[in-house]
Amino acid sequence: MNFEIDVNGQPHTVKVERTGSRFRIESEGRVDVVDVARVDRTTISMILDGDGGLQGSHEATLLEGREPGEVEVYLRAGVVHTRVAGSPGQKRWSAKGGALGAAGGPQRLTAPMPGKIVKVLVKPGDEVVARQGLVVIEAMKMENELRASRAGQVKDVHVAEGDLVEAGRLLTVIE
Amino acid sequence: MKVLIANRGEIAVRVIRACREMGIPTVAVYSECDRASLHVRFADEAYAIGPSAPRESYLRIDKLIDVARRSGADAVHPGYGFLAENDDFARACVDAGLTFIGPPADAMERMGSKTGARQVAIDAGVPIVPGTLEPLGPTVSDDEITRLAASIGYPIFVKAVAGGGGKGMRLVAAADDLRSAIRAARSEAGSSFGDPHIYLERQIVQPRHIEIQLLADHHGTVVPFVERECSIQRRHQKVLEESPSVAVTPELRERLASCASAVARAVGYTNAGTIEFLLDRDGQFYFLEMNTRLQVEHPITELVSGVDLVHWQLRIAQGERLTLSPDVTLNPRGHAIECRIYAEDPDNGFMPSPGRMLGRRVPGGPGIRRDDGGATPGLDVPIYYDPLIAKLSSWGGDRGQAIVRMARALGEYEVRGIKTSIPFFRWLLASDDFRAGRFDTTFLDRELARRNGDPFVSLPDDAEHIALLAAAIHACEAAATPGRKRAAPGKGNGRGWAMRGRLDALR
Repeated sequence: MNFEIDVNGQPHTVKVERTGSRFRIESEGRVDVVDVARVDRTTISMILDGDGGLQGSHEATLLEGREPGEVEVYLRAGVVHTRVAGSPGQKRWSAKGGALGAAGGPQRLTAPMPGKIVKVLVKPGDEVVARQGLVVIEAMKMENELRASRAGQVKDVHVAEGDLVEAGRLLTVIE
Repeated sequence: MKVLIANRGEIAVRVIRACREMGIPTVAVYSECDRASLHVRFADEAYAIGPSAPRESYLRIDKLIDVARRSGADAVHPGYGFLAENDDFARACVDAGLTFIGPPADAMERMGSKTGARQVAIDAGVPIVPGTLEPLGPTVSDDEITRLAASIGYPIFVKAVAGGGGKGMRLVAAADDLRSAIRAARSEAGSSFGDPHIYLERQIVQPRHIEIQLLADHHGTVVPFVERECSIQRRHQKVLEESPSVAVTPELRERLASCASAVARAVGYTNAGTIEFLLDRDGQFYFLEMNTRLQVEHPITELVSGVDLVHWQLRIAQGERLTLSPDVTLNPRGHAIECRIYAEDPDNGFMPSPGRMLGRRVPGGPGIRRDDGGATPGLDVPIYYDPLIAKLSSWGGDRGQAIVRMARALGEYEVRGIKTSIPFFRWLLASDDFRAGRFDTTFLDRELARRNGDPFVSLPDDAEHIALLAAAIHACEAAATPGRKRAAPGKGNGRGWAMRGRLDALR
C-alpha cells in the first residue's frame, strides 16, 4: 500500500507491507521493519529491527489534528505533526497553518486567553522582526509577552494599555 | 472534626488525602469550571460556590462560611493562595465557630505587612535586610525618600508594603532612577494590593533564598525543620526547590532555625509557617518575610524529614501537642528536589498554555513523588487560576541521586494536548552549574537570557523518521478497516474507538 505523508510539512512517499504484527516500510530508498503492539486506545509500541533501518524500542501516541488526515505523533522527546494525504475526500497539504499565520497573508495576533493588556510595545507603521514582542498581557497571575511570528510592518493596533480583553480578541495586525 | 477545603487543584487533593488517612470527613468546594476536577471527585461531599472567576467563588468568604454551615464542617483548611493569608477570612471562620487550620488572624495580619514583619524580626533579635522600618505613605516626598535611600545605599529595592511574588517591586541602581521607581511601585502596589505604601530595602547582591519551615502548637512548642533552598526562580517566582541547601552548614542551620523560631514565638504563631531568609555570599543571612500558610514546596521537607506536615496541621488544630524532636527535624535524611510543572510553553516565553489535557504518561519508580491532581486527562486546564498542574518531587540518599532520579523521571513524563514546563526542567537538571550547586536567585533569569530563545524542545535526528513510520502504520491500519472513510485516531473524546478497532486487528 502506498501513502503520501507529510512530516512537519515535508512530503514523503511511503510503501507499507504488512505481515501479522510486522510492517515493512519503505520510503526514499530506506527500509524499516517494525513490530507493532497496541498499548492503549491511542498508543502503539514499535520495535525496529535495525536491519537496514533504525533500531530500538519506540512508543508513539497518535492524536487527531484539526484538519482531515492530520495526526499529531507524540514521541518521548516531543511531538511531530504529520498528515496523511491522498485518501478519499481529502485535500492535499497546503502551505497554510501556524497559529499566527506562519506564511502568507497578514498576521492577526489574537489574545490567547482573557487578561489585562499591561503594555503595547508597537504602534502602527512600526517595522518588526520575527519574535519581537508586540503586546504584554497579564493572565494566570503572570505577564506574558506576545511576539511576532515573522517580520513585517504593524498595520493596526486594536488595544490600549489597561484594556481587559477576552480570549480571541484581535490585538494587532502585522503585514 | 470535619474539614472544608477552601481551595482547588493539587493542594485540595493533598489535604483531602491527609484527612482520609486520619479518618476525617472532607468537604470540597468548586467553581463552575471545576465541576469535574479531581478534588471534587475525591471529597466526601462537594458544594458549588459560583462562577469560575476567583473573586466570585474561591475568594468569597460568605459562600465558604455558608457551605461550612450547610455541610456541618467544623474546620477549614485554606491551602495556599486564594484566602490562605487573608486575616479577614481566618477571623470570619473563628467568628462562625469554625477552626481555622492555620495561624491566629492577628499573627497573620502582623506578618502580612512587610514593614510590620521587619519590626517583629528586629524585636526578636533577627537580622533584617538594611532598609526603612516605617511604611512610606503617599505624603512622604520624593526628596525625603531620596535622602533615606542615600543613607541605606544603592542598589536598592522599592517595595510595596502589602506586596509579594515580585509585584510592586522595583530595583534601582542609582539615585537618578529612584523617582520613576517610586511612582511605578506605588501605582502597582495601589492597583494590585489596594495599598500604595512602600518601603526601601538594600539589594543583597546575588543572594540565595533559604527558608525554614516550622510547626508550632498551642502549648508553646515551636519545631523548626531543615532549610529549603529556593534560589531557582524565574522573575522572582520559585520554579524548583531543594532540601537541604548546599550552602548551609550544620552550624548555619542551627542559627537559621533558632532565628526562625524566635520570629514565630514573637507573634504567638501556631500551625505551619515558613520564615524566608536571604543568604549573601559571605554567609550572612537576613530575614526577608514570613509565609503564614502551608507552602507549595512542603513535599521536599516531608521527604527529608519523614514528617507529614498536613497531618500535623490537622493535629495541631485539634489541640494536640507537638511530639517531634528537633534532633530529627533538623537532621536531613537524604536530599529532595521539587519541580513545579506549569501549563505553560517554555518555547514561547513561558506563556500560559491552558486547554485540554488529552493524555499523559506519569513517571514513577524509586524516590519519585507526584502531586499531580491539579489537572487530569480529559479535562481543561482552566484559564482562571494559577497554571500549576503538578509537582514532581524526587528523593535520593544524596543530592546527586536526587538529581539523577529527577532527570530520569522528567524523561519519563509526557503530557499531551497542552504545553508544559517539563522540557525546561530537563534542560535545567542537565545544567552543569545547577548540578554543581553554583547558583543564586539571579542564576535562572541570567541563563535564560543567555539562551536567547534557543528552543527547549529539540527533537533528536531520527524523531521525524519514527513519526513517519508511526503515521504510515496508522494509515495502513485505517485503509485496511472497512467502513471508515478516513483516518480518525483518538482524541480523548470517544472517537478513539475506531483506532482501537483497527489496532485490535494487530493482536
